[in-house]
Amino acid sequence: MPRIGVFIETREGRIKPAMSGVITAARGPNHELYGLVLDGRAADYKAQLQAFGIHRIVDVASPTGPLGWNPDTWARAIALAMREFGLEALFGLTSAMGKEVLPRIAAILDAPLLMDCLRVDVEKRTAEKSQFSGKTTGVFKLNGAHCLYGMRPNVIEAIPAPTEAKIDAFQAPVTEGALIVEALRLEASRGVDLTEAEIIISGGRAMQNGDNFRILRECAEVLGASVGASRVAVDAGWVPHSMQVGQTGKTVSPKLYIACGISGSVQHFAGMKTSGVIVAINTDPKAVMMQHCDYGIAGDLFEVVPILTRQLKASLNHG
Amino acid sequence: MNKKYDAIIIGAGVIGCPIAYELAKMGYKTLNVDKNSDAGLGSTAATCAIIRAHYSTEDGVAMAYEGMKYWKDWENYLGGVKDEKGLAKFMNTGSILLKSKGHDWRKVKKNYDAVGVQYEDWSVERVVKAAPVYDLHEHWPVRRPEDSEFWNESTGMLEGALYCPEGGYVNDPVLSTHNMMRATQAHGGEFLFNVEVVAVRSEANQVKGITLKDGSQFDAPVVVNVAGPHSFKINQMAKGVWEGCNIKTKALRHEVMHCPSPEGYNYYGDGYHTSDADLGIYYRPEVGNMFLIGSEDPKCDPKVYPDPDDFYAGKGGAGEDNQLSEAQWKAQCYRLGRRVPTLRVPNQPRGVVDLYDCSDDWIPIYDKSDMKGFYMAIGTSGNQYKNAPVVGAMMAELIDACQKGLDHDANPFQYKLKYLPRSFNVGFFSRKREINTNSSFSVNG
Amino acid sequence: MPFKIYVCVKHVPDSAANITILDKTRIEEKITFIINPFDENAIEEAVQLRSKVGDAEVVAVTIGKPAAVETLRSAMAMGADRGIHVVTGDPPDSIATARALKAAILADGAPDIIFTGKGSIDSEGFQTMFRLGAALGVPAANNVASFRLEGRTATVESELEAGGRAVIRMPLPCVIGAGKALNKPRYPILPDIMKARKKPIRTVPMESLDIGTPPASVQLIELRPFSDRRQAKLIPGPVEKAVEELVRLLREEAKVI
Repeated sequence: MPRIGVFIETREGRIKPAMSGVITAARGPNHELYGLVLDGRAADYKAQLQAFGIHRIVDVASPTGPLGWNPDTWARAIALAMREFGLEALFGLTSAMGKEVLPRIAAILDAPLLMDCLRVDVEKRTAEKSQFSGKTTGVFKLNGAHCLYGMRPNVIEAIPAPTEAKIDAFQAPVTEGALIVEALRLEASRGVDLTEAEIIISGGRAMQNGDNFRILRECAEVLGASVGASRVAVDAGWVPHSMQVGQTGKTVSPKLYIACGISGSVQHFAGMKTSGVIVAINTDPKAVMMQHCDYGIAGDLFEVVPILTRQLKASLNHG
Repeated sequence: MNKKYDAIIIGAGVIGCPIAYELAKMGYKTLNVDKNSDAGLGSTAATCAIIRAHYSTEDGVAMAYEGMKYWKDWENYLGGVKDEKGLAKFMNTGSILLKSKGHDWRKVKKNYDAVGVQYEDWSVERVVKAAPVYDLHEHWPVRRPEDSEFWNESTGMLEGALYCPEGGYVNDPVLSTHNMMRATQAHGGEFLFNVEVVAVRSEANQVKGITLKDGSQFDAPVVVNVAGPHSFKINQMAKGVWEGCNIKTKALRHEVMHCPSPEGYNYYGDGYHTSDADLGIYYRPEVGNMFLIGSEDPKCDPKVYPDPDDFYAGKGGAGEDNQLSEAQWKAQCYRLGRRVPTLRVPNQPRGVVDLYDCSDDWIPIYDKSDMKGFYMAIGTSGNQYKNAPVVGAMMAELIDACQKGLDHDANPFQYKLKYLPRSFNVGFFSRKREINTNSSFSVNG
Repeated sequence: MPFKIYVCVKHVPDSAANITILDKTRIEEKITFIINPFDENAIEEAVQLRSKVGDAEVVAVTIGKPAAVETLRSAMAMGADRGIHVVTGDPPDSIATARALKAAILADGAPDIIFTGKGSIDSEGFQTMFRLGAALGVPAANNVASFRLEGRTATVESELEAGGRAVIRMPLPCVIGAGKALNKPRYPILPDIMKARKKPIRTVPMESLDIGTPPASVQLIELRPFSDRRQAKLIPGPVEKAVEELVRLLREEAKVI
């Protein structure tokens, strides 16, 4: 019975929404699923994890208590847990945190790792991911004692598979090494990270300035969405780089992506082409984005978006 | 019953639209058909839209100078028509023609004098005063960076420049074409987009109309080929027309680069359009404080003639045909780096690749054909944007005269310019001409 | 002994390039290649560090086909003093790449610091810098948005989710993965490009490096073109009506809100 681990990412006492899809991807006919939790709150997550098919929850900590955020100690602790529980594969998210932790584990174990996977076959040890700015999909074979997979958030639909989970405590004998985390600066951080957001509304060149992003934020609030931007808007200094979607920004795959005044460069598509539903709002009906969306409205975003916000507000209140 | 028009114009680019506009003003019921989804979205969309007067022939200078007058008077030309997208704007930067061995500027100067073009003779110091980032060392002959001699230190200096204060560029060539479409529609002209012509029908050597890919047919006693890079394909559809041309056209691949201006220099606000034959390039300001760098097609640069349908379908050759190439990016940016030594050249190419509808001598064909009622305004060779409104009026008058019985081949039509007090012989643009050896054989015309 | 700064750079297809799949695992390479954009930030930081340290040298290292020499030239035009080109055929995976980088760097000198880009835009493996750090037994930080060196201690800010940052301290030597926010790369002027033509490049065949037998690998078995199955539906009509229809479609047809 293959034992498969899932690195459970949490934020402020909650399992990240995109994790359910990752657990779904890790399941297999006779897989025994291990959920590795590092924030010391394994018991709080039991109901949710077993609902998606996690059989064993491993509460990973240091001998002195929960491990504070340090990607290096986390990676060493998880690597030890994988050996301890004989996990032959580990799944995680290709999020900011996953990008810090999964490659470090792979480096420690000298194990193969594929990040940003769109699909994984655990038995065949193959996985698919985008290559060359999303213009091709590569199928890879992983060879090694342990295989690591970082899933692109939201690409696998979460399907419940209730089971009964047992909690194991695991004390990893790790202490802070050469890499020391001195401080965390979260004051600048706003809401959900783009890479994990389920709905994103983005603005491009047509936004004209940073202040105008207010109308996107208003719409995002109603939708529970995160706000993104194209490279043009970032390069012009209207919004910070952390909001950039695309080749040199973030790769996202939300259920719904609303592109406002974004013409649709190859580089932008590279960052959002696997989104579930794409809506384009653009004055130019010939814009590439308008031709590669699911729904398009040919119109001025300054007119369309406020109407959308108002209608959504009304409809979500009634719905 | 096929729908009938007085004239069908194949193409709705920057030449096709003014021809339709002028014919519509004369009372013709016109139809423009185009493969793209709107006016000006073919190769017009990639033009640098330079408005300059220097050409290698006197008639060339006259026509360009006449064209400049139209662009300066754009609203009036359009007859006050409203376009919901706004009007294109003429950006009057002034135009510097650097005196160099690469350009027979003495001929240009003689032509300027003959036509009455306003210009100033600038010394090197005067050029540098106007454009302080320029270094006027001489680098002739034009070479490629792959050639080790490209890197040789310059020993000489250029002589100065001819400065034409009326020159510049149009800020949005697609919009300017759209403006002309709206003006045409105001006179009853019709436009049909997203359609492809598959046949030019004729009977007893008189054109009858066109057939589209979906099988629909449109009839007219006049059909005008303004198909840009596709022009040779349209000519081949009209029986005997291609064979009857002594000058042929084909699609030439051309790259235009966008390189940021050196920090601290506002090229977009303060810069000039510059023709720099010493380095085989021309440049003008572009939005985002960029240098837009075009090529004057020096002999050392390779020429590629793709099939236009493949090119636009994005599957040309090895997949590089319709993308900027690294070698050409370096060639054009490094050449400008010679003139602007403080220019910083990014590693990632930025710019535009498109096709010229290039004729054998880089001079257009504005003519009738061997088939009655079939006309052509083709072979614009990357240098006719500025002339578009003039070509519209000239072609309309030529067509009207021929339809009324003029034998243009025997007695070439004389076109009277509207702004300048002169006429010229439209036979200059004849399909039957011998290759014009006066031509620069480049985008300079 | 000068302070040794190594910068790992990669020769990648321009993101605008058309990708044509030739056989199952190869692409047509007659396209525009560029230096990986994040590596520009790595070079810039290395060059700035050199001027702060004084007696320091910046060495650009790449692993790739013969054409990758162009990317070394780009790195040298941006300020690297010299280059090392590990020449390969097909691109090695991250595991072999990290081993080869380690071997090539150690054969050249003792690194004080190594910069890389935070990822490559072609394969987007997001792991080579960590493997290189582990192979050398030194700490690594990625997606670095600010960097400071005091004595032999590097303090960096590493970007976390949603704009948050972790302040990380590491002793030298260490590996730094440069993010876009780290600096603004200064592109070369023509005299820099001319100088770079004369800077030395050492060519090392991949086979000549002792990288041992990696215990694991990631092997590309097939490339497929990405197919976009979307059918764009343009919603016509006046804005108010069109938005109404859009909300209905998102709710009833797409079921995403």
